Amino acid sequence: MALTASAPIATGKKTTSQEFPAQHDEQRRALHAISRLTFGPRPGEVQRVLATGVDKWIDQQLHPEKINDSALDARLASFRTLRMSTREIVENFPPEAVIKAVEEGKQPLPSDPLRRAVYQDEMDRLQEQEQRKQDANLSTNEETGNSVKSSDSAGVERREETRDYDSGAEQLPKLPPEQRVKEILAMSPRRRRALASSFKGARSSDFLDGMTAQQREAVRALDNPQKVVVNELLESKILRSTYSERQLQEVMTDFWFNHFNVFIGKGADRYLLTSYERDVIRPHAMGKFEDLLIATAQSPAMLFYLDNWLSVGPNSDVANGVPKNSERQWRRRYRRHSVSVKQAKGRRSGLNENYGRELMELHTLGVNGGYTQKDVTEVARVFTGWTLKEPRQGGGFLFDPRMHEPGDKIVLGHRIKPGGEKEGLEVLHMLAHHPSTARFLCTQLAMRFVSDDPPSALVDQMAKTYQKKDGDIRDVLKTMFHSSEFWSTASYHAKLKTPLEFVVSAIRVTNADITDAMPIAHHLQNLGMPLYGMQPPTGYSMKGETWVNSSALLGRMNFALALTAGGLKGIRVDCERLLPADPPTDAHQVVGELEESLLAGEVSKQTEEIIVAELDDPKISQHRLDDPVRLPNIGLLSGLILGSPEFQRR
Amino acid sequence: VKSSALAVVGTAALPAFLKRAAFGAAPTARTKRLVVIFQRGAADGLNIVVPHGEEAYYAMRPSINIPRNSALDLDGFFGLHPAMASFQPLWNQRHLAIVHAAGSPDPTRSHFDAQDYMESGTPGVKATEEGWLNRALRSAPPRNSALRAVALGPSLPRILAGSEPAVAMNNVNDFGVDGHGPGPISNSFEAMYANSVDTVLHNTGRETFEAVKMLKAADPAKYRPLPGADYPKGRFGDSLKQLAQLIKSDVGVQVAFADIGGWDHHVNEGGTQGQIANVLREFSQSLTAFYFDLGDLMEDTIIVTMSEFGRTARENGNRGTDHGHANVMFVMGGPVKGGKVYGRWPGLAQSQLYEGRDLALTTDFRRVLGEAVYCHLGNYSLDEVFPGFNNRSTEFLRLLRNS
Repeated sequence: MALTASAPIATGKKTTSQEFPAQHDEQRRALHAISRLTFGPRPGEVQRVLATGVDKWIDQQLHPEKINDSALDARLASFRTLRMSTREIVENFPPEAVIKAVEEGKQPLPSDPLRRAVYQDEMDRLQEQEQRKQDANLSTNEETGNSVKSSDSAGVERREETRDYDSGAEQLPKLPPEQRVKEILAMSPRRRRALASSFKGARSSDFLDGMTAQQREAVRALDNPQKVVVNELLESKILRSTYSERQLQEVMTDFWFNHFNVFIGKGADRYLLTSYERDVIRPHAMGKFEDLLIATAQSPAMLFYLDNWLSVGPNSDVANGVPKNSERQWRRRYRRHSVSVKQAKGRRSGLNENYGRELMELHTLGVNGGYTQKDVTEVARVFTGWTLKEPRQGGGFLFDPRMHEPGDKIVLGHRIKPGGEKEGLEVLHMLAHHPSTARFLCTQLAMRFVSDDPPSALVDQMAKTYQKKDGDIRDVLKTMFHSSEFWSTASYHAKLKTPLEFVVSAIRVTNADITDAMPIAHHLQNLGMPLYGMQPPTGYSMKGETWVNSSALLGRMNFALALTAGGLKGIRVDCERLLPADPPTDAHQVVGELEESLLAGEVSKQTEEIIVAELDDPKISQHRLDDPVRLPNIGLLSGLILGSPEFQRR
Repeated sequence: VKSSALAVVGTAALPAFLKRAAFGAAPTARTKRLVVIFQRGAADGLNIVVPHGEEAYYAMRPSINIPRNSALDLDGFFGLHPAMASFQPLWNQRHLAIVHAAGSPDPTRSHFDAQDYMESGTPGVKATEEGWLNRALRSAPPRNSALRAVALGPSLPRILAGSEPAVAMNNVNDFGVDGHGPGPISNSFEAMYANSVDTVLHNTGRETFEAVKMLKAADPAKYRPLPGADYPKGRFGDSLKQLAQLIKSDVGVQVAFADIGGWDHHVNEGGTQGQIANVLREFSQSLTAFYFDLGDLMEDTIIVTMSEFGRTARENGNRGTDHGHANVMFVMGGPVKGGKVYGRWPGLAQSQLYEGRDLALTTDFRRVLGEAVYCHLGNYSLDEVFPGFNNRSTEFLRLLRNS
């Protein structure tokens, strides 16, 4: 108890802080490279990298397309939405706009019986929601995505309905899968939804066992189709971070997603992020920055998130109500296709600065990159007409000249001549090649890979490569990975893990098997880092100080203990396998082996002593008179190590 | 402390002290508390405390204005958004003051930078490492408590970063290792962090385990909301409910922080109904519930609200508003001279707007906060709390009873 008050801060004992002789200690070089280019070492990884050679391994990671990732692919195989176009996602997991279109007779019910059931259940849900809205005079709003049913009221209702359902269909799991699907299809929408909402944990596997992936998804979707889409994305993020062999690509995908952050909770973005990450971010993660920038600028996810799809030039045809060609043709055309224009017009017409500002502040120049409020407005004028065709129904990017602001624009002192869509591309080109952008991006990259406050000499060197190589991200990474700053003593263990890095590194280092990643996603939420859940466009901070606080520290300790005790749902872990095949019988040696496995032996004397002292605790030693050679509680010891200060850094 | 339990006996839902005309002499030993609320995302002050006496307001906001007959009139010129009806009793009893056209003088319209400046307390200076609410404790009368400074949420906000111990709490009722308070495992972790040479982790670890032990002893779980304190559903209401538990369990909280997002209404902001109405309802009902929940403890508590900047005076092309400049702040609590809108109103005529588009700023947010830190927390070193800002006590708005 008096420990905290009286214990002096031990000095200079930490084995890692002083020496890091790059040339002499290959093992440490390997560990350092792994801790920066991946989500953390797996058992035996340091030896494998050493066998390959550190530099060669880095080079392999820089070329992910040549790395076989079939084990991951197998784990992702059952998540069908990951391979669907946005249009297919919307058709299979209909959002409200589609359901309403069906209700109004503008679109037929699907003929496939399973899909049809999903639609019917959603219609039932909408009707119920309408009813409740009338009862409670609840106002919801489409635009921010507040229209998603309130989870609290839905929960109450579900509990009631579940009871209802329980009285009838407990026999279901005993039927063969095909028969089970038939029975479910024969139910009323209300009962079906109650059944689907009860799918949790073991119960869900009882009901879904033996069904095809398609059937399973459809049955889950009976209660809440968009949750299927969102959950598959969340699960895939955790599985990729944990199991992909293309670790650097996943790290870079995470980095760029965060750089071009889009919040999954905003309306249609629930359906758009699957494609955004797969088609926009990952393929460009190590390519040319300009390509990545253009891809984000034209992505439905970003256009929707930062409202640019609604931005209308104040002097555009749409604003002036000028019909295209003949009035009749215009009417026909917009009734059929361009809902966006109709809606934008319905909302009246004008500029929206949201994207223009964040494009310069967060995506390219940085907040001190030398732009003004006037530039923000001008860039907003340039990007008028960059809009979406029916975003809530999965439509894609569209340049609509009728929404575009006519006339010259002046951006950062450059005159942009009238050129429709080309104006935007011209501005993106200019921003991508701006020296401020080079510095800003390279600083961000160095903060992710080197230290919170990277040496400016390193940033200079990287920015030079960026400029010379036309913004080639792979080349910039190469420069960084071969810099003396990257390998300096100061950068060794200099980075505090973010919650995602902590959680995934703990799962990787214990070689745990994830059977259901959703509980992990919930843990990340409690640790303050919900996946795809950062509402403002800034993304998550990469600085350590953001992630060190009481709540977060306790959360990490608790996660470590629960993981190693086997108490986390959806994860199988066997800490005894962290020991060699022929485990030592001496408890002290056991601690040493665990520290070797979990921290590559890089543990301070203080931490080691405290853990060894724990061996006196009967709960840990597990000594019994009738079984003197019993091993100590490996799980608890492992939990202590993963919750230790040492494991919080990389 | 327990006198709060008496607060709601009787017919009215008002805490007893709200009905009192004046206070007796305040006992000196009582803990003074400052609760800071941040509305993240740039709340639209002009639709929150509505200048219904301004014709220009209606001209610039044809589709999202709050009609004169819908606003809850305050003084014949300003009115509250109708979704904030729960604030009315506080206003009528003069426990709620408003400062309009207030905020940070820095011209940035970046959410991130502006929030950073308002939390560091040094607009325009990025290098400031500590938050002003942390510095506010440095020269305040000391309390020997690990829970002097508390933020509700999974992370410690910038405003509380600094040398004084400050604790972030996701859940007051589940704050410990392995679901328990101190025990062998908890003690091992405590020792590891106490002995770590990693300064950041060492310091946070020490603060954490002191707080764990203190909380274990105080057992805040036994304090339930008082009748009449109806917290709305949602994270913000939940945070304030937990904060009330902490304060009621008498663990020495001097400054506290909570935030509420959802104010960045670029599209379809709404007027009397819609997005802004929904978030304002959650905001005001949560604060009112907190107010009633604390009961007599509000005699020693001041709540201040702020947001990084206001929004454009004109609505934009999407029935929303873009990033603007000055905003509105609420100051509430027993020590407040409420029932008044403070600050000079700059007007909304074209020539009166900041950069031709936004509400101009007439009160620096540090002026308001400085008065609370000086007069309420008893920290007279305002140069230390708000370096570089001339915060003489003669310049205070005098919105507190003892200023």
